[in-house]
Amino acid sequence: MNSRHKILNQLRSNGRAAETPGPWRSRRQFDDLAARFADALTAAKGECRRAGSLDDALDQLHQLLRELSAGKIVVNAEPPFIELDLPSRWPDFQWHTVGQSDGDLRAFCAAATVGLSGADAALAETGSVIVSSGPGRSRLATLLPEIHLALVPTSSLTADIFTWTAGRQGVLPANQIIVSGPSKTGDIEQTMAIGVHGPKRFIVILYDEG
Amino acid sequence: MSGVTQFRRKARIAISDIRLQGALEGATQKFRTGRTAALADLPDAGALRDHFKAIRQATIAQLADHLETFERNAQASGAQVHWAADGDEACRIITGIAQQHGVKLTTKSKSMTSEEIGLNDALADAGVEPVETDLGEWIVQLAGEPPSHIVGPALHKTRQQVAELLSKEAGKELDADDIPLLTAEARRMLRQKFLDAGLGISGANIGVAESGSIVLVTNEGNGRLVTSAPPVHIALMGIEKIAPTWDDAAVWLSLLARSATGQPLSVYTSVVTGPAKSDDIDGPQEVHIVLLDNGRSKLLNTPFEEVLQCIRCGACLNVCPVYRAAGGHSYGSHYSGPIGAVISPLLFGLEKHAALPQASTLCGACLDECPSRIDLPRMLLALRAEEVESGLIPLPERLLERAAARVMGNHRLLSAAGTGLRLGQIPLAQGETLNIPRRFNPAQDRRLPALPKKSFRQMWRDGDLDE
Repeated sequence: MNSRHKILNQLRSNGRAAETPGPWRSRRQFDDLAARFADALTAAKGECRRAGSLDDALDQLHQLLRELSAGKIVVNAEPPFIELDLPSRWPDFQWHTVGQSDGDLRAFCAAATVGLSGADAALAETGSVIVSSGPGRSRLATLLPEIHLALVPTSSLTADIFTWTAGRQGVLPANQIIVSGPSKTGDIEQTMAIGVHGPKRFIVILYDEG
Repeated sequence: MSGVTQFRRKARIAISDIRLQGALEGATQKFRTGRTAALADLPDAGALRDHFKAIRQATIAQLADHLETFERNAQASGAQVHWAADGDEACRIITGIAQQHGVKLTTKSKSMTSEEIGLNDALADAGVEPVETDLGEWIVQLAGEPPSHIVGPALHKTRQQVAELLSKEAGKELDADDIPLLTAEARRMLRQKFLDAGLGISGANIGVAESGSIVLVTNEGNGRLVTSAPPVHIALMGIEKIAPTWDDAAVWLSLLARSATGQPLSVYTSVVTGPAKSDDIDGPQEVHIVLLDNGRSKLLNTPFEEVLQCIRCGACLNVCPVYRAAGGHSYGSHYSGPIGAVISPLLFGLEKHAALPQASTLCGACLDECPSRIDLPRMLLALRAEEVESGLIPLPERLLERAAARVMGNHRLLSAAGTGLRLGQIPLAQGETLNIPRRFNPAQDRRLPALPKKSFRQMWRDGDLDE
């Protein structure tokens, strides 16, 4: 406790009253949030597909998983996947549903081609998707697989980080991530290389809810 | 005084290293262009920076209150908060936690603060193997070197040098021209470390007081792995990195990556609010936050308080003519560039880093670039004044300055000196420029105009200036 007191006392004796400015309000106005989201995500080397409905999104997802020759797929037990039961619908793949399947989640994620998630929110300005930890929502499921694939309803779009923080409520999850593209580095001669430690591809299927 | 000569010696070597010069110019130019474009894309970037400066100033003025709020909320989320007066205490706390858990291997996410306190050496001494996981930071760790840039620790390394280091680690020859392959090999080698580590250590870009959260930004995903895979996570944070609210943190985040790398946001912004909850699927069982002072609190209410607004984006390095020529290693501190030239003397001693306040042209580019508008040139000058007062300036230089002051204060002496220099330059003059001896111009890229035939005063007297 000694250092705590020492530091706080030092700061307090030299501190002074100061008025913190009020919050900065977003100055962004996008005519089409979805279009901006898609552009920004593409610029960040992510991939965005648009779907007219959840059914359309699922058709595209199925098609995509086949094209990828996805072997192991880990899926978070969260909206929109909860009642879809993808493992019975598409039994050609090897599935692990977070919190429901048996077996070692970590080993499965490490060997998985695809990690499927939903999203808490999505930021149009930066093409970002926000994912959280919680029951049925694994952190490693969106991190260890080769590809992170998120199904995001257009209703979860907000303009930017300012509109997002302004609208936040309630207790924070232990872990929350703002994902803005695939894992990348420029550490070797400033040459961009994709897929260092996180997913090599980040694909979002942005769908309208019917 | 050895500090002054050391900087000059290292800088001279760096300046004649053509390869390093190319790397520095390439990297800093890329960062500069990126930053300019990213800020131009923002509506009202100037106003946003003013707002950010106001937030940072007010937060630092009342740092004690904000830190207590942060501590209370972090503890409420289940995190354990530790306070460290200096680097040694922080190292003791962290190695203590590692030993208590019987940790043999720890993965680390890039943290300048951990470099500042020499944490890796302390861990190794305590029998814990630290593995840096940011690719650039891992490269300099393998090379046994300090980082040479706040954001791009290995920007001084060529791909051949990187390939050599990684080949040794992989036990096979890797093709230097295949950067995706080098990256893939790094991914393969470090992946197992992430999964085996008993402890993850990170820095913290921001501590948000209102929720007790730590915010961490990375592009590679190593920050996420370090804070998600091991059973214990320790975050080391300088006490100045506090944002009172999430609205304030949003301003911070919207400027950080734009200023650092020109990205609107880094690829991964991780928000850690305590250890895994009881119904969470995965994540650490314990989260520790170590709040580090190490000379920061004593800067409050001094002419140097402003420096605590720094968010370590590295933008000032990229525009600094001295950094761009001398490179990061010349500074002899983990913090280089204009910000390093100010905080290294302040945190680690003016005597030890006497050369650094001199390592500036006072051109002011750093102030123009800084997201929180820190007046680094003013503080560089203030540090120079302190150096003069404490006699830290080498004797020949002091004598020279004194003589210059004498000459400039007396118009007769000044015109005599002018005449002397006009005569003296004759052997060096080539038309209107001076031929600089190679010793002072190793790359042959410097030009110095010769003194014109007449001084301004002479031209005035002769009526040359009339219309």
